[in-house]
Amino acid sequence: MLASIPSATLLGVDGQPVWVEVHVSGGLPGYHVVGLPDAAGRESRERVRAALQSSEVVFPLKRITVNFAPGNVRKTGAGLELAVALGLMLAESVLPEDCLHGVGVLGELGLDGSVRSVPGTLALADVLRRTGIETLIVPIGNAIEAALLPSVKIRSARTLAELSQCLQGALAWPEPDTPPPAAGEDELVGSEPLDLVDVRGLATARVALEVAAAGSHHLILAGPPGTGKTMLARRLPSILPPLDPDEAFEVTRIQSVAGGVPPARLARHRPFRAPHHTASTVALVGGGSVRPQPGEVTRAHRGVLFLDELGEFPPSALDALRQPLEERVVRISRQALTLELPAEFLLVACTNPCPCGLEAARCRCTEWQRARYRRRLSAPLLDRFDLRLRVAGPQPADGPGEPSEVVAARVLAAVERQRARLRGTPWRRNAHVPAGALDHYVTLTNEVADAWCLVVEEHQLTGRGAARVRRVARTLADLEDTPAISAEHVALAASLRGEVP
Amino acid sequence: MSVSGTDGADAGAADRHAAATLAALPRVTPARLLRLLTRWPEPAAALAAVRAGRAAEALDGADPRRSDVARSWAAAVDATAAAMTPAVVRRGTHVLYVGGPRYPIDEGIDDRPAVLFAEGQRLDVLEQPRVAVVGTRAATPHGLADARELGAALARAGIVVVSGLAIGIDGEAHHGALAAGGTVIGVVATGLDVVYPRRHGALHEQVREHGLLVSEQPFGIGPHPARFPVRNRIIAALADVTIVVEATQRGGARITARHALDYGRSVLAIPGSRRNPAARGCNELIAEGAQPLLDPADIAVALGLTPGSRRHPAKDRVGLPGATGEERSVFRALGGEPATADELVTRTGLSPGAVALATAGLVRAAHATRAHGLVWPT
Repeated sequence: MLASIPSATLLGVDGQPVWVEVHVSGGLPGYHVVGLPDAAGRESRERVRAALQSSEVVFPLKRITVNFAPGNVRKTGAGLELAVALGLMLAESVLPEDCLHGVGVLGELGLDGSVRSVPGTLALADVLRRTGIETLIVPIGNAIEAALLPSVKIRSARTLAELSQCLQGALAWPEPDTPPPAAGEDELVGSEPLDLVDVRGLATARVALEVAAAGSHHLILAGPPGTGKTMLARRLPSILPPLDPDEAFEVTRIQSVAGGVPPARLARHRPFRAPHHTASTVALVGGGSVRPQPGEVTRAHRGVLFLDELGEFPPSALDALRQPLEERVVRISRQALTLELPAEFLLVACTNPCPCGLEAARCRCTEWQRARYRRRLSAPLLDRFDLRLRVAGPQPADGPGEPSEVVAARVLAAVERQRARLRGTPWRRNAHVPAGALDHYVTLTNEVADAWCLVVEEHQLTGRGAARVRRVARTLADLEDTPAISAEHVALAASLRGEVP
Repeated sequence: MSVSGTDGADAGAADRHAAATLAALPRVTPARLLRLLTRWPEPAAALAAVRAGRAAEALDGADPRRSDVARSWAAAVDATAAAMTPAVVRRGTHVLYVGGPRYPIDEGIDDRPAVLFAEGQRLDVLEQPRVAVVGTRAATPHGLADARELGAALARAGIVVVSGLAIGIDGEAHHGALAAGGTVIGVVATGLDVVYPRRHGALHEQVREHGLLVSEQPFGIGPHPARFPVRNRIIAALADVTIVVEATQRGGARITARHALDYGRSVLAIPGSRRNPAARGCNELIAEGAQPLLDPADIAVALGLTPGSRRHPAKDRVGLPGATGEERSVFRALGGEPATADELVTRTGLSPGAVALATAGLVRAAHATRAHGLVWPT
């Protein structure tokens, strides 16, 4: 009379194991759902009833209690419905008693008994695997996605009636359609491939972009409209290092939760998110009280968050970026829950120097307008950019630039060097090394340390600013494949951290 | 006004307070005020006439609102006097009016302000030779350095520096003159109790101590775009010579220069590169007949203090003693003009890192500065 089936629900971008317990007893007929379900969970009652009837299973006129354990975790979405239906069939002995032993179940039901896809299957399947589940039943639309997980046996379900037959051994398990051929996927979907060869001149800005890609240093470009800031930033994906397998899994998991379409294979490209400047604070950092959703910073995890026209974003949204920039996670605290979303992204921003966009003497803005525009970008936010550059635009004599392929090779080599140096630490890139560990991981020879001190003095750098210059100098040395940082690296690092806007 | 003794002092005070009251009347304009004090040269008499509702006699016959204005003046005059007189006494404000003692502006100037408020320790600057140094707010480091040097050179020659206390060239000229121990006049477009721009608060105090703050606006008047060009005519009228350091094509400094030319004063402008938008105004002024200022010594000539030019030879720093080879080539690549780091990379063929290192060395040795994202030779 009692059945218990492991399933899972989403909390942020992580899965949370849930045991679906179904109890059927005599007494006044009724159907109760307990255990902090959301509205979709409560509605599941009607869907389960209809789906069972459509599948020609007699709905028991008994007292039915469905419990989602643990009771203190808020359950979201309808992904527990298939588990409820199977639990009912088990409790009513429609299915043999041991056919679901050690099997996890995910899926939403249609009124006709069809099994529908659930978002975030990869994250849900991942958490069930960690609890020791070896076989998983997932909707057929999520089967390919779930199969991205190693060491879990995936069974796909098309309809409840068919699933029941399969479980009893009367039918073979359906096979999911093979995913579309991989050919088109290598290019960035929906955009022609962008290459740095198209960008003329801008020597310093190109160096800055390369440094940003290699060391994950946040970059802001300021300059009049039409000087090539956005053009340059849009080409950043072409020189980013490829995702390593762990990172690819993380990125795919977030896409599975937030992407809408179930991913068919592990992500190959780092995400490049470019939200419009009307984005709200919640859209940017994530949140929402009932069902917290990952924001752009989480969607850009292990990739790039590109904010064009930084000065036009709401100041409150920009200031909300400060904590994730520093800690590389977003902490969302609500009355009912707190959760942590990953947010390790490279921030690239473009801005105009003033509302009219023209510099110095060509500018038609009043002092007041300029001051107000500058105030939109708070000093603590600007301080978090390792690379701050004014872009003046190409000169007529400038030729085409270096192709992305060449730059990407240098970046990849620099990333490998950082990985070797930082092995055994929680940090992957130079920009992540905290100030306290600089003396150990970003060493300076005595001579260069003197040069560094001179630079700190000359630019009147704060402690944070000085540490940032040092990290950028390390990345410059990594890009040149030199073991020691030179005075030249320090000087260039300092000049790459100019005053903007 | 040939009265003497205590009566005279009282009469003087009455006139000054009356002038302050007249300048603070609602709907008063520089033109209306000047007409009032032309019709009744003694401000106390003018005030009595306004109170009696006879102001329309003085106003322009073609002004359709003149009886209206006269009525509102008659209604407001007592309240205005009750506000202005104690404030003038408390603040120790000097009130200068057309025809009155120490009024500093020549009669030939048709649109001169009828009443000027002045505050500061050095009323004597109104009897000394004066030179205006003006320019754009969006100045380049070269322009700022020129303004500072000019201010100091004028101060050392015992000349009072007149300017507008604005950000940029104006402020630097004041700073240069004050640092050299000179005296200055700051002509502002607000009431004297308003500090604008606010970041020049300390400069306001210094100007009060070592010179005069001057305005035609009564107390409490804040900044307004329309009042700055009007203020500029006072700068031009107060100065015997006007020097434009850097000016954009359509900037306030051009307006000051045009007023100075109208008043028959000499105007000097510092020429600049055609690539520098902050020099365009100056170059156009020179094309229109302003005298180019090639060296601070040229001012002495313009003022008639020295018969011929005594220009100092230009600083020769081609040697750059102690500089590295890269520093030399970067300095050469600057060619006396500002350049971006990218331009320096292209011109020298050095790597961005080498250019950054060389620039840092030049800046440290004071051969160059950084500003507006550019490297400037000094």
